[in-house]
Amino acid sequence: MTAVLERTHAPLGRVVGAEVRWVLRRPRTLVVLGLLALIPVAVAIGIAVAGRGGRGLIAQVAGNGFVLPVVALGLALTLLLPLAVASAAADAVAGEAGSGTLRGLLVAPVGRARFVVMKAAGVITVAVLAVLIIAVVGMIAGTVVVGGPGSLITLSGTTLGVGEALGRIALVAVWTIGQLLAVGAVALAISTFTEHPLVVLACVLGGMIVFGVLGAIPSLDWLQPLLLTTGFGAGTDVLRDPLPLDGLESSSLRALVYVVLGVGVTFWRMARRDG
Amino acid sequence: MSVTEQTLETRTDPSSGTVLEPAARLRDLRKTYGSVTAVDGVDLDLPAGAVVGLLGPNGSGKTTLIRMLLGLTAPTAGRVELLGHDGTQLERALPDVGALVEGPGFHPFLSGRDNLLRAAACEPRLDGDLRAPVDAALGRVGLTEAARRRYRGYSLGMKQRLGLAAALLVPRRLVVLDEPTNGLDPAGTRDVRRVIAELHGAGTTVLLSSHLLAEVEAVCTHVAVLARGSLLVSGELATLLASDGELAVTVDDPARGLAALRAAGFAAYLRDDALAVTEVDPPEVVAALVHAGVGVWEVSRRRAHLEELFARLTEEDA
Amino acid sequence: MRRRWFGAAGAVAAAGAVVAGVVGIGTASAQPQLPPVSPEDLVASVMTAQPGPFNGTVGIDNELGLPALPGAPQLGNGQQSARVWSGGDGKGRVALPSGDGEKTLVSDGTTRWVYDATDRTATRSTGGAPEQKDPQTDPAGASAQIIGDLRKTSQVAVDGTAEVAGRPAYTLVLTPQPSERTMLREVRVAVDAEKRIPLQLTVLATGSATPALQIGFDDVTFGPQDPSLFTFTPPPGTTVKDAPARGQGAPGAPDRQGPPQGSRTVGDGWDRVVVFQRPAQQPGRQAPQGAPDLNALGTPVTGPFGNGRAITTAVGTAIVTDDGRVAVGAVPEPVVAEALGTK
Repeated sequence: MTAVLERTHAPLGRVVGAEVRWVLRRPRTLVVLGLLALIPVAVAIGIAVAGRGGRGLIAQVAGNGFVLPVVALGLALTLLLPLAVASAAADAVAGEAGSGTLRGLLVAPVGRARFVVMKAAGVITVAVLAVLIIAVVGMIAGTVVVGGPGSLITLSGTTLGVGEALGRIALVAVWTIGQLLAVGAVALAISTFTEHPLVVLACVLGGMIVFGVLGAIPSLDWLQPLLLTTGFGAGTDVLRDPLPLDGLESSSLRALVYVVLGVGVTFWRMARRDG
Repeated sequence: MSVTEQTLETRTDPSSGTVLEPAARLRDLRKTYGSVTAVDGVDLDLPAGAVVGLLGPNGSGKTTLIRMLLGLTAPTAGRVELLGHDGTQLERALPDVGALVEGPGFHPFLSGRDNLLRAAACEPRLDGDLRAPVDAALGRVGLTEAARRRYRGYSLGMKQRLGLAAALLVPRRLVVLDEPTNGLDPAGTRDVRRVIAELHGAGTTVLLSSHLLAEVEAVCTHVAVLARGSLLVSGELATLLASDGELAVTVDDPARGLAALRAAGFAAYLRDDALAVTEVDPPEVVAALVHAGVGVWEVSRRRAHLEELFARLTEEDA
Repeated sequence: MRRRWFGAAGAVAAAGAVVAGVVGIGTASAQPQLPPVSPEDLVASVMTAQPGPFNGTVGIDNELGLPALPGAPQLGNGQQSARVWSGGDGKGRVALPSGDGEKTLVSDGTTRWVYDATDRTATRSTGGAPEQKDPQTDPAGASAQIIGDLRKTSQVAVDGTAEVAGRPAYTLVLTPQPSERTMLREVRVAVDAEKRIPLQLTVLATGSATPALQIGFDDVTFGPQDPSLFTFTPPPGTTVKDAPARGQGAPGAPDRQGPPQGSRTVGDGWDRVVVFQRPAQQPGRQAPQGAPDLNALGTPVTGPFGNGRAITTAVGTAIVTDDGRVAVGAVPEPVVAEALGTK
């Protein structure tokens, strides 16, 4: 009991656990995760109805069910996954400030650095769950609705067995989580500057659009290595054979830089922010 | 609680529980937002074990003062010492501080109990099963019945009670209550007063902010009056209320009473059918009247200074 | 209030700087110390180099100013990269990735496959030259070919050393002799110091500091390659086609290069002009969608050859005459016109 009386912070595990439970009980989180699960289902049904034909990556799913989780993740990464993660980050700090719960946590006291850890854990939880849901539902829908040869036909025209196909899907899932953590870290940093969650969502949405536009302007080529969205297409590389790692590595490295900066700004800001 | 010239360096070890050591000290505390000064050079001690009423009209800087006391807002200048910790160490005092600031803040989609469980998970002083202290706190504020309902459906009073429960999750050394009776019905107000009395009985220091003199008067031992960010007056409630006051004595025969008092050497005059006596020793006044055969109905102190001061403040505010 | 936004702006600026640092903008290439070599020896060693199996990534930076043509999108301006594997004995594999697909070229030495993932078609061709490489994705082959073509009409020099794809290399510079009437200023070839294969080819046009074309390895690894890379089995659901006879190459087939049938060349070296008859529209076959209407391009010209239209780019000129003749060269318009006039 003496230890408890001298303790200045609650055990981190308990705090993080409470945060994750809170995130998972938030209706908005559940709705978003449910909507994300619909993406692979919608693609699968579309492919089943339309059959073959058409171009683009979605056409690769036809008769090649294992591609579905990869394609669904790639589609979702363009907008919906970043928004899902940004929404979690928006609620994490701006939302708590807006609902008046932030000061309760700070007075408890959670500790301002631990607060960032706790909130990061919540955002990571959402990012991981969102990706896993798309990947798992994608695999199920790919197998049940689309079907296929029980193997994955790569873009290079080679055929991968089930084990390697699952490995590729796991790889793209982990990579996607990495990209989302970059979005989440930046969103968390924005979240510490406002008490309106919508501001965070608007910034992330606007940022994605601006990055997309900047990335499409040829005379701004030099800017491309700086834009997080530049690497978003690298997930498709898991469908190539032999597996090229360059794009996955460079985009992951870029995401890491964004994570470091986002988390750094979050720590810096939370150390000063009014509760 | 008049401001002493005690320096911050003379504090004793907080764990020794020295009763005389103030629970909090504010020194020349100042907060400005741009060109607006919210708190302007406040010096204030919260004596250990006292129930301190922080009085002031809306917008007088009460909440900003409390936020700086709790480390939620960084002061522009000045020092805060809380339970023996100051500066960057302020947070070390917070486990022993319960607070209800700026109204209750909870998540609408969780029940009152789940909200408290989440808060309890962050309390350093709690260990093991969190449900027992949560249920105890809910019981203490009379929310046991509604504990499992969603916060979304709570009335304003229930929300206020839940906020109070969160401040009471752990036995505290200091409890800070910012306008705790906002939105409460008379029964709720009585409950809050009971809780404050219990805290006072257990030796907890309480800081109660309010814009109602009556509320402060009902429960506080000390009072500090804030207006436009400055501390106008502070000290023991009884002293402040009595300070240049006079006795108002209601008797069955005012004319005879007046004669009796004057005969006994008291400075007395008749006002509003009551006897106004400038002598401040009530037993002597009553004894003189009774001795003269005058029936005494009521003796009370006129609280001229504080009441008039506060009335003036709130009128300006209105 | 204001200060925190300054903080945010500072953070964003720092983010940019760190990203730039990590991703490696503006990497300076060191100049490795290598034993001197004479231009003649360097050229000779390039022509006889046997690099053996290797794999690598090739970057193509194209500023030629040509319109993008269907079937050969990599001719259009822009940057592209390709992954190449060479078995060293006529076997090879090239992967041309695009955002939503990939084109794969596989040769096992006798049979060549082109697999296009976007429409899941595999085109097979057999026979022909055993090791005909796609110049777009083979800096070694393209460079060797160009060195062979140009060395007689060039001043050849070794201009120091460079590091390409992490390997030390000699820089071979071919400058047209003054008598050559070309729009090109020089061709620079980075030759691997050890393996003596060209690692990078840079074409510079007159009056421009930026390369008109640069093909080079971004990275290259020499060593044995997995033999399964050089075989191709069409996956289930693939439409398999056999390529038509050579010369009428299907889009993307590796025999796309080389002058069309019935062509003749005028001049040699830098100012060589190729003249050929424009293929007539085949009956029943529509022009590929998006193909440029050659009649609308360029500016009208008139000369001894008749009337036509001249298309001038940074590195060359083409004249399409109204009677269907085409002349192309890395030369100014008068030279092309003159070539059309010669019989």
